[in-house]
Amino acid sequence: MALNRDRVGTTYPPYLYEVSREKIREYATALGETDPRYFSDGDDCVAPPTFAACFTIVKGSQALFADPGLGTHPSLVHGSQRYRFGDRPLRPGDRLECTPRVADISARGGSEFLSVEVDCRFHDSGELAVLSEATIVFLGSAPPAAASGDPATRAGRPDGHADDADDADEEAAAAAVRKQEGAA
Amino acid sequence: MTQIGVGTPLPVVEQACNLTTAVMYAGASGDMNPLHYDQDFAAAVSPTGGIIAHGMFSMGLASRLLTAFAGGPDQVLEVQVRFTRPWPLGTTATFGGKVTSVDEGVATVSLWGDNASGERILRGTGRIAV
Repeated sequence: MALNRDRVGTTYPPYLYEVSREKIREYATALGETDPRYFSDGDDCVAPPTFAACFTIVKGSQALFADPGLGTHPSLVHGSQRYRFGDRPLRPGDRLECTPRVADISARGGSEFLSVEVDCRFHDSGELAVLSEATIVFLGSAPPAAASGDPATRAGRPDGHADDADDADEEAAAAAVRKQEGAA
Repeated sequence: MTQIGVGTPLPVVEQACNLTTAVMYAGASGDMNPLHYDQDFAAAVSPTGGIIAHGMFSMGLASRLLTAFAGGPDQVLEVQVRFTRPWPLGTTATFGGKVTSVDEGVATVSLWGDNASGERILRGTGRIAV
């Protein structure tokens, strides 16, 4: 079943997330970080940039996956991710109000691309803490009109972007550069 | 920080992906998708037929280049990546990047991650205050 394009622009109810010192430590440890501020007991404690993954990936798409009218399905991969940060890194005790939105739905090569934005603001000031933009690739569910004739794509390629013409061009260009560098 | 210009390389990070790193990242990030630690589940649904790393783990490692280069998370304005190939458990990936432009106190950098065969698992960009 294809995703419902009428949902583009739909905003889901905001959820709250409170940043904690121990969660920052746990996240920084998992990434092998060494900046002492991530592990600090003091006021200088801050979170690494992609700490935002803790509250934008699973929590950010929860409401969308729970919406029967959107038509998500389990055959998916995370295609891309962008974070735009506010004026300062996150700190322990920050309370964030996070609002998910369906930013876009498109189809290419038999797959569908769901763009999810999560706008995360400091609860006290309303200022931007981080804006998350994720592209989730739903494999093989594009409506027939949008599906290409590529059977490998319809069978569910491991990488939703593998059939992307831009990628092929970039890869070819990169390979050409490597070749030149090798020859030089 | 030394002089930054177009072509200045970012530090390189090499990282192995194993069951310990995968479980630690799952717990830390809250992404408990069994694709990243359950072999039976991965055999049924994984694009490689085996366990693969969280895409966000690779993005986190690529972001370490940004903070190491810029001096901390305070200077990181934006980071964006595309997950171009799965990163299979039991393999080592290498992450790197370089400055592509410097304009009005903001450096734009390219980011990449390659698997052990030299195939690109991640490509992206970052913007940092310099």
